[in-house]
Formats: sequence, C-alpha cells, structure tokens
Amino acid sequence: MPVELVRPEWGLIVPELILLGTIALVLAGDLALPRRQHGVLTWVALAGLALSLLSNLTIDWAAGRSTFNGMFQADYFSLFINLVVGVAGILSVMIASAYVPGGDEPGDMPLPEYLALLLLSILGTMLVGAAGDLLMIFLGIEMGSIAVYALTGFARRRVTALEGALKYFLLGAFATAILIYGMAWTYGATGTTALADIAVRLRPVVTGSGGVEPSLLLALLLLAVGLGFKIAAVPFHMWTPDAYQGAPTPVSAYMSVVPKVAGFAAMARVLVEALGPLSDSWLTLIAVLALVTMVYGNVVAIAQRDVKRMLGYSSIGHTGYILVGLAAFSGLSPDDRSVGSMLFYLLSYAFMNIGAFGVVTWLQTRGLGVTLDDFRGLATRSPLAAIAMTIFMLSLMGMPPLVGFYAKYYVILAAVQADLIWLAVAVVLMSAVSAFFYLRVVAVMYFNEPSGEWKVQPTPLLGTGLALMALGTLMLGLLSGPVLDLAQKWVQAFGVA
Amino acid sequence: MSELTATHFLTLSAALFIIGMLGVLIRRNVLVIFMCIELMFNAVNVSFIGFAWEQHSLVGQTFALFIIAVAAAEAVVGLGIIMALSRRLDTVDIDQVHELRE
Repeated sequence: MPVELVRPEWGLIVPELILLGTIALVLAGDLALPRRQHGVLTWVALAGLALSLLSNLTIDWAAGRSTFNGMFQADYFSLFINLVVGVAGILSVMIASAYVPGGDEPGDMPLPEYLALLLLSILGTMLVGAAGDLLMIFLGIEMGSIAVYALTGFARRRVTALEGALKYFLLGAFATAILIYGMAWTYGATGTTALADIAVRLRPVVTGSGGVEPSLLLALLLLAVGLGFKIAAVPFHMWTPDAYQGAPTPVSAYMSVVPKVAGFAAMARVLVEALGPLSDSWLTLIAVLALVTMVYGNVVAIAQRDVKRMLGYSSIGHTGYILVGLAAFSGLSPDDRSVGSMLFYLLSYAFMNIGAFGVVTWLQTRGLGVTLDDFRGLATRSPLAAIAMTIFMLSLMGMPPLVGFYAKYYVILAAVQADLIWLAVAVVLMSAVSAFFYLRVVAVMYFNEPSGEWKVQPTPLLGTGLALMALGTLMLGLLSGPVLDLAQKWVQAFGVA
Repeated sequence: MSELTATHFLTLSAALFIIGMLGVLIRRNVLVIFMCIELMFNAVNVSFIGFAWEQHSLVGQTFALFIIAVAAAEAVVGLGIIMALSRRLDTVDIDQVHELRE
C-alpha cells in the first residue's frame, strides 16, 4: 500500500504555532538574556498568548475543517477551548509575575522555565480541544499534565511542594494508564481511533438488537475513570487538595483551571463526539459522579482553615457542577444546552477561581500566609484587594449578577431540560452549603482586626490582573448572551463530523 | 498446538495491567509504585499491538510507539520529583510523606 502524503493545512493551527514560537522565544531568552532582565520574558509570554488569542480570528471556524488526516479539527468547540485557555493563560502569567521571582519560596524559581512550562501546558490543552483522534487526546492531555507536574514541584526546596507534586504525578500517571487502556479497548472494539469514525461504527451496534458488547462497556468505564481523575471527580480526587495546597499559589491557580479544561474537553470529545451513540450507558454514570462530587467537595471544604486547601475542595465541588452540564446531554440538537453550559462554566470559572488564588498570591507577596487568619482585617489594610476577593467569593458562591450565578443558572437550565430535576435541586442546595465557607472569608476580611506583619510591595501586573478578573467576573455575567451563543455552537462542531 | 490469537495478547495484557494496578495500590515504595505504573503502560502497549495484529492495521502500533515516548517523558519528570523529595526527606516510603494534612 503506497503511503499517501497529504499536505497539512497550516492555516488551521496558527494559534498553536504562535504559542509554540513563543515557547521557543522564552527559552532562547533564558539563554541569551542576563538574569536580571528575565522579567521581560513575562511580556513576551503575554504578547504571545494575546497574539495566539487574536489569531483565532483568521480561521473560518464555521467550516469545521480538519487537517493532519483528521487528527486536528478546527471547529467551534476548539475555538471556545482556545478562548478559555488563552484567557486563563494570560491571567495565570499576570498573577505569577510578582510571585515567581519574588523570593518568597525557599530557593529560587527561574522565571523563564516557569513560563515555558506554563505555555507548554496551555498548548497541550489547546490540542485536546482540537483533537480529532484518541491519539491526539492522549498526547494533548499528557503534554498538559507533565508540564504541570513539574510546575507543582517548582518550589523545589520546599517539602510540601514536592509532596504535592509527587501525589499529583503518581495519581496522574496512574490515571493516564487507565485512560489509555480504555483507548486500547475502544480501538479493539471499533477498529479505529478517529473520534468521528468511532461514532459512525457505534451507531449500528446500538440500534441493533444484540445490545452493547461488554468490551465496549469496559472501554467506556476505563475512559470515564481515567478522565475522572484528570478533572478531580470524586472518588478520584485524592490528589487534588494536596496538590493545590502544596503547589506555589500561582500554579494552584493555573492548575485549578487549565488541566481541568483539558479533562472536560477530552470528556466532551470522547463521550459526546465519539461515544455519543452509547450515551444511554454513560449518562447515569456521569450524573451520579456529578452528585457525589459536588456534595463531597462542598461539605469537606467547610472544615478547612487553609484557604488554598479550601479552594481545592471548592474546586472539586465546581467539578461536580460542571459535570451536571455534561450529564444533561440528550442528543446533537440545537436545543441541547449540555456542552454549551459546560463550556460557559469553564470560562467563568477561569475568571473567578484564578482571581481567588490571585488574591492569595497577592497576600503572599506581602509576607502573609495562606490561612484564614491571614485574611483578617484585609478590608482596612487594602480595601481594593478586599473588594476583589469579595467579588470572587460571591461569584464562586453563585450570587447574581456575578458570572458564577449565570454559569450555575445555565447548568441548572440544561439539567431541567434533560429532566434531571434532582441534579438541579442538588446544585442549588450545594450552593447554599458553599455560602458558609465562601462568606466566612468575606466576614474575616471585614469584621476582624488585622494581625501579623505586613510589608508594602508594589505589584502592578498582579494588581492589574486582579482588576481584570474582578471586572470580568462582574461583566461577563451581564454580557453572557453572545458568549453563551458561541458556546452553544458546539452542536454544529460535533454535528459536522 | 493451538494458533496464536488475539485472546493470547489480551490475556497477557490484562494480567500485566492488573499486576501493575495491584502493585500501585499495595506497595509503599515510591519507586516500586512508579515501576508498576510503567508496567501498566506497557500492558496497554501489548493490547494495542494485539488489536492491531488482529485487525491488520498499523494504527494500534503507532499508538504504542507514542505511548512509549510519553512514558519516557513522564519518567524524566517523575524521577526528578522523586529524587528531589528523597533528598529532602531521606526516604522513598510513601507513608513517610505526609506533611500535607488539614
């Protein structure tokens, strides 16, 4: 059989190429520039991310073209993932700018390497979003995770950081093994690894009278468990609180969003696009996972004094809410709001959660710690920081008119449309429970006297980042219409293939 | 003498995968846990190659090559983390690594 070489359409992967160029530039800058000028690389990274975001405009997403033999798809789903990770990347770089070279961690953290790893992980996540084949999903997820393992242990002189990294790494690699075993069985049962072809070959299997083969169900289970680890769904969440607490705070901020986006993008691509015909077999599983995850995350978060750990558990809770969106999948029709609500939630989560971790970073660069006590009297010390934190906490809780409210509203709407009333009720109840630990932070900031030493430190880029995120949290909810419409085009993306 | 079938590959792969999985869950030495994870990766390779052999397609073999490459990359980062930690704590026993608790 002669090998046919197809010329790839480079134009479709321009955002990824720009990011790759930026990584090369940052690494070259590490070599060429003297150490005290490394700060300039932050701007290089920001410019690269912004360019990569802008370059999304050059692509005709409506066509839903694919290239590299169907490995890479440029459709509305990948566009939205590009948007989410681009925005999350810019915000993560901004909040890391003061902390990484700041010297608050024992030993030093080289900024260029930090930025290069961060950008690599973002690139991997973009590839997952655009994946058209199980192989690309695997490679993208690994590219994203391996870089984040290294980032988690980036404060390499601090035992807690290394411990978090070790746990994240061992469980992450374990999950990857399960995930690819699932991919192997999917390949065995369907004879292909291309997502669209898997769906095509599954359709007759499902409509036939024989029922679904056990090997397919095994594949489905392995895939769901492997991806469940990546998004930190209960009972596969064990690494999450430790990794979030141990990692340097800007890394916690980053990994609470982007690797999670990668996991959810992979779930949507694999479960909805490829295994969509089997949805009867996985919908209940996802719905139960969603319920257990949100209950566990929110209830355990109540007992935490360490704000980073509390946000870790709260992010488990939010994983549960986002899974509700996926569980509401009913079919590829324009009225189906499932994946659309999931995508919108991920974008709003990027603003409010990176923001919350950003305020913790802000405190740390001023010599304070990460427990609730360190938030005492923040309102008298810095009213602006206290207002920002209040906005993020209220938004995470789901207070209108902040974006967190709209995100939950759309998820609930999707659940109600899919007749999952019990899940919708659970989301509302758990939001009420979460009010306890989110509002506690706010109360401590406003009603307690400041304690501990405080050093005045200018951090312009971090401050700007926080202001942007507060603004985003305020405005994105009110402007949610067009954004949600864009997210809703996932139907077109998955339908074309 | 019976012929080689895909079942042979799959049985071997499943056995290796389960041995690896049990090792991860039972053993306490970080390095052994990591080796067990590698065993699981290679079990997956065996099943990919078994399926590819059964279906006369190259897709599974290509996939296996990529898995080998990724496993190598993962080993670099993972061993780095384990080295740094064992230098700080002077142990590779996972039960001794418990600084992070609420």
